[in-house]
Amino acid sequence: MRKAMAGLSLLALILLIPYLIYLNHLINFRFLGDTWAIPSRVYARPLELYPGLKLSPDSLQYELGLSIYQRVDQTPGPGQYRLRGNTIELYTQPFEFSDQTEPAHRLRVFFSRGEVSRIVDTMTNSSLELVRLPPVVIGSYIPENGEDRVLLRFDEIPPTLIKILLAVEDKEFFQHFGVSPVAIARAMIANIRAGKLVQGGSTLTQQLAKNLFLTPERSFTRKVNEAFMALLLELRFDKQTILSAYVNEVFLLQQKNIAVHGFALASQVLFRQSIDHLSDEKLALLVGMVKGPSQYNPILHPELAIGRRNLVLRVMRDHKIIDKNEYQALIKLPLSTVNRVLGVNRFPAYLDLVKRQLKNNYSASELAARGMRIFTPFDPLVQRNLEQGLMAGLARFDQPELEAAVVIADYLSGDIQALVGGREVDFPGFNRAVLAQRPIGSLIKPLLLYSLLEGDATLATRVDDKPIRIRQSDNKIWEPQNYDRRSHGQMSLYQAFVKSYNLPFVHLGVNGGLELLAQNLDRINLLKRDLVYPSLLLGTSEMSAFEVTQMFQVIANQGYFSPLTTIRQVSDASNRILKSIPLDSYKLFDEALMLQVQRAMIGVSEEGTARYLARRFDGQTLAGKTGTTNDVRDSWFAGFTQRRLTVVWLGRDDNTPINLTGSSGALRVWADIMQKQGFKSFKLGRSDSLEWHYINRFNSGLTQQGCLDSVLLPLPKNFKPHSRSRCE
Amino acid sequence: MNTCRTGLLLASLLIASCSGTGITPVRYQSEATGSQRVVGPVAELQRKAIEALNAKHYQQSVEYLQRALKIEPRNAFSWHYLAQTYWHSKDYHRCRDMVYRSISYSSELDDLDRANTILMSQCEQV
Repeated sequence: MRKAMAGLSLLALILLIPYLIYLNHLINFRFLGDTWAIPSRVYARPLELYPGLKLSPDSLQYELGLSIYQRVDQTPGPGQYRLRGNTIELYTQPFEFSDQTEPAHRLRVFFSRGEVSRIVDTMTNSSLELVRLPPVVIGSYIPENGEDRVLLRFDEIPPTLIKILLAVEDKEFFQHFGVSPVAIARAMIANIRAGKLVQGGSTLTQQLAKNLFLTPERSFTRKVNEAFMALLLELRFDKQTILSAYVNEVFLLQQKNIAVHGFALASQVLFRQSIDHLSDEKLALLVGMVKGPSQYNPILHPELAIGRRNLVLRVMRDHKIIDKNEYQALIKLPLSTVNRVLGVNRFPAYLDLVKRQLKNNYSASELAARGMRIFTPFDPLVQRNLEQGLMAGLARFDQPELEAAVVIADYLSGDIQALVGGREVDFPGFNRAVLAQRPIGSLIKPLLLYSLLEGDATLATRVDDKPIRIRQSDNKIWEPQNYDRRSHGQMSLYQAFVKSYNLPFVHLGVNGGLELLAQNLDRINLLKRDLVYPSLLLGTSEMSAFEVTQMFQVIANQGYFSPLTTIRQVSDASNRILKSIPLDSYKLFDEALMLQVQRAMIGVSEEGTARYLARRFDGQTLAGKTGTTNDVRDSWFAGFTQRRLTVVWLGRDDNTPINLTGSSGALRVWADIMQKQGFKSFKLGRSDSLEWHYINRFNSGLTQQGCLDSVLLPLPKNFKPHSRSRCE
Repeated sequence: MNTCRTGLLLASLLIASCSGTGITPVRYQSEATGSQRVVGPVAELQRKAIEALNAKHYQQSVEYLQRALKIEPRNAFSWHYLAQTYWHSKDYHRCRDMVYRSISYSSELDDLDRANTILMSQCEQV
């Protein structure tokens, strides 16, 4: 009998060893490699504060709120700010940029007349010319398993959190070896007394083993595996490593399709605060949620959550983490979580474009796992104004099916500053700004005008707005029309442009302009087909709002092309630069010709199809172009100011008519966005090869200032007028 | 005085091209006001860029100048210094492109125009 027992024991040991080796291998694989897939974070542009910057206290507060700065009423500590009259005092966090580490600053920012008037470093009491704030995180790329977390090193874990966690979950953590027989016995007694499962005996190490390696099933096998793995973890790693892993691994909250793991991210999501700023009762709530993230979700089940939190506070009192008076005060406090959990990615259309622009370099799985930092030119303030302006604009149309796409770019650099892909701005659905290919109608006319000017034409060229019939290569007859279905006789090319008449452009286009237009589209990589039809002259070409923005970028920038980008730099988790996209700007088109196009676009806004802008923004200069497609299915407006280009598209996903022209639809929304943004007037550049002349807009004759129908136009120095116009 | 400044700028460019070292700013002109100031966020960034350039930290110089251009995108000097940085880092295509940009904004800045002409010829020569 004894021999049999000894034999069986030996056999068990022989079988156990390979199993333990296997478990150890799992631990190696997980812990010695990348323990977690770390989502890559996407950053907005860093806000640079300097005297003279147009910024209001409200805008700075908005930016600080996005960065999880806490507003306080006393002297701000790290990550806090205080508003006092026309000043904001703030204590910034340090941040490692690729060019330098920006240290923490204690600042006082003074505002006057809508701009920053002075910045003082309150530590040294010196004025500062320039301060760069840490950039806002605008989104993350989450791994396929849907887990998101912000990692904390052991020295970053608030000591109070550790005390609470151990008091509630594992009092003997620093004494046991992974499994606590004392805790097991205590739990058994409690459960027997209660007649049901009221207490668990698992240590933090066991919980970690279960979360990392095992399924949540309640079975004896799992419990045995859990115990073995806990023992192995304790043998292999020190207590600090295990505790850090637990703090970063524990599942706390489900936020739509994202599983929030770790206390750091849960703190940001629930309280919009960094974990090191959390007060005791908030830490208590988070620790309380460990036992049941769904059950104790403070947004879905606030009563259960507050009960659980107060239980944890009682444990804290019993373990002298807080005293009796503190306990009495804290249990009376409300939960103070956010009312609604914001999406991890609040700007889904922009993040979608970032991902598309990165896809040639990084796969989706790399983005979701390598913990990269992606720096973009996204401007949260511009985005906020865009969203508010868009909502105001769409509200004027009684069309719930009406969709929108808007792109805002700094045309001098190619930076995409803001983007929406649909009327529901925070919904991560179909990104119309990038994916919806729609005919652009008269938006083709500026580039077409440029193409005609490249030939023999000038803005003063006399053109005929009269019917035309064209036999196409398939023998079909094409009879284009103006929008009003009328002809308007002779006029200058400028006049035809500002009124967006089609027929003059077709007349000129079929005599050489079409080929030049195709070449110019090709230069910007926007020629979609090899075969070029005359209808291209009227914008039958399909483009997305993003592509239209690229086309207008080079027009607004007077012929200098800068590729539109949402990425400026990518660095790895150790802050090594992986990819840098510098400012690129090269001359693609003739500056003097493009200046003439810009002048014509100013005319559109002053007296043409967008003259609504002249009424709405009296005294300001804007340049733009309306676009309307056949049967009024698409409404477009592209316009620019001193620095920014904004393109608006309105339409329906089912492509049915919206009965909104470029003027009555997209233009109005564009104006609402401009109203929110504020802007500086567009200023024409200069060219030594042009001279300014007063021309009669109808007969193209040379005239004078103040004469009827005269308009001041830039024309080539060798320009010879057809005639002199009588001044009336 | 203008002649002195011009001479200084040209001399510094020639020295730079021969020795491979950086340049020093001759003067700074505010895009907004046209006034000549040597203080302000853009001037500070330009100074830092030139220090980085002198130390052959070209990427850092580019980043400082790109920050300066975010604040004043039509500052002809910032574009010129960017062109210098690309010249020193042997990116001659970008050097030329940046010189074009500087030229497009440098009307009435005769000394800068001359410096741009020299730099352009250097970039195109290579």
